[in-house]
Amino acid sequence: MSLGGITGNVTALRVTVGILVALAFVPLLHNSYYENLGRGILMYATLSLGWNIIGGYTGYVSFGNVVFFGLGTYTSAALWQHWHQQNIALAVVCAMAVGIALALVLGVPILRLRGHYFGIATLGIALATQEIVANVDWLGAGSGFTVRPLEAYSAYYYAMWIVCAASMLATFLIARSKLGYALVAIRENEEAAAVLGVDPTRYKVTAWAISAAMAGAAGAVFAGANAFIDAPTAFALDNNVFPIVMAILGGVGTVAGPLVGALILTAINETLWSHFPQIHTLFFGAVIVLVVMFLPRGLLWLLNLRGGWKGLRASVGAYRA
Amino acid sequence: MQLFWQSLVNGILVGGIFAVVALGFSLVWGIMNIINLAHGSFVMLGAYTAYVLFSTWHVDPFLSLPVAFVLLYGFGYCIQRFVINFVVRAPILTTFLLTFGLSLLIVNVVLLIFHGDTKGITTQYSGTNFSIGGVTVGWVKVWTLLVALAITALMQAFLTRTKTGRAIRATAMDVDAAQLSGVRVAHLYAVVFGLGAGLAGAAGVLISLSYSLQPSMGDPFVITGFVVCVLGGLGSVQGALLGGLVYGVIEALGSQYIGTGLQDAVALVVLLIVLIFRPRGLLGKATAS
Repeated sequence: MSLGGITGNVTALRVTVGILVALAFVPLLHNSYYENLGRGILMYATLSLGWNIIGGYTGYVSFGNVVFFGLGTYTSAALWQHWHQQNIALAVVCAMAVGIALALVLGVPILRLRGHYFGIATLGIALATQEIVANVDWLGAGSGFTVRPLEAYSAYYYAMWIVCAASMLATFLIARSKLGYALVAIRENEEAAAVLGVDPTRYKVTAWAISAAMAGAAGAVFAGANAFIDAPTAFALDNNVFPIVMAILGGVGTVAGPLVGALILTAINETLWSHFPQIHTLFFGAVIVLVVMFLPRGLLWLLNLRGGWKGLRASVGAYRA
Repeated sequence: MQLFWQSLVNGILVGGIFAVVALGFSLVWGIMNIINLAHGSFVMLGAYTAYVLFSTWHVDPFLSLPVAFVLLYGFGYCIQRFVINFVVRAPILTTFLLTFGLSLLIVNVVLLIFHGDTKGITTQYSGTNFSIGGVTVGWVKVWTLLVALAITALMQAFLTRTKTGRAIRATAMDVDAAQLSGVRVAHLYAVVFGLGAGLAGAAGVLISLSYSLQPSMGDPFVITGFVVCVLGGLGSVQGALLGGLVYGVIEALGSQYIGTGLQDAVALVVLLIVLIFRPRGLLGKATAS
């Protein structure tokens, strides 16, 4: 599935960078609703970019990346609770280190698994970590942690923007580097890649560690902005599944896709919340089903579609039984 | 020591239910390479079917079991035929997410209708039990295990003795060859998914006899189904049965000696150990990679 090269459609990328730059000015509106919304978009875009490295470029569908996000939030919260450290940059760096360390330790055994086995193993890790964290007294156990928010609340917004922009830049650079081509080679045919001299284990673990660093950084900023952390918030199912749906909606294995997906899905989600709060999750399920059925390759892929309506029908029906 | 025997017996009794849950999961996975994340919601639907029949007409849950099977078979058939077949040959991520979305939809529709409070089925024989050597056993659980074993045996007979069963096994081996021999794949896939849903529904009815009901009650059973399939090896009825019993015992002993809040963690550790040392399951047949 060519999307105009390894970084994706060039026009889409330019537009997306434009959106990102525009998002930097949201705090100037001095409207806390838009600021929270914007920070949410940036957070989900970062999580989605992180998932995209392992799930999109490498083709290893992780259903447990929330574990790095959750541990990132806890790192940030623990720094405040136990050492009274409130520096965002320090929290981000520590959270990234924790994520990378866990990805390296778990990656070697877990990334030997393929396909569904990897997916379920990562899902199991996410569930198990949530259970374990909820039972550790040092991490607040069942009652959770508070983090004192900074006086300049917008600092969290800018921090999230920087984390998101850095993740996007990193994805762009990785995609164009030897690493990116190696990951795509592993996705397309792991055995062939190994024969051609790509060491799959090394590259897969590297990809997962990068993915973990992005999720961890987003978690560290989120903890401060949210002011309170407990296991159900940190390891929320939403934070696990939204980023994957966003990447798919935008376009898996592209640089621009995750932010496009995050923007659209957050908009849909927000509208549903304000109009139909009761059946909001139900609608979300329906959105997932429809996206997967009719846009299995994402919106950006439509930009490269040839053959108009006929081409669209042929492509949508390509996976029928 | 008595605690140990009690946990062991409890584990075996609940293991029968796990086997029926995993049977349907294994069938769908083995034949279409779909990890059905909506499997747990089918279990829940089965339990609610028993609840509705019991609270409205006082139908005994054991009699509701065939009803739940047929209803869920029909539901599953339609879902595969009109939704999943659309993308069945797409990369695994697609069906993973699709069934996740379906699960969200189903659970939330039930939540709208029945609300989130827990419900239960109390029959006249609910509390009755007997004891051997200090180990107390509820009659309901014994009957549940016997029914679970009967379902497993019927499924094995169906897959080996009937024409449809043979077509299913042929499709699992080679889709193209089966298609050339006249198997209508779109229809057969729907039959398989229907059977998977029906078995999940039957398991749900059995679960409703001993546990309380709630719209999200089915969610843990996706992981259960997966772990049991990995334990027993994919695509064999005996494997699902053995895996179910082994997992039931592990879970019962785990929550007895390690702690009740950590079942998922115990399940994960078991899963990883088996995946690393015996990637093809305890009964070791060929698996779809």
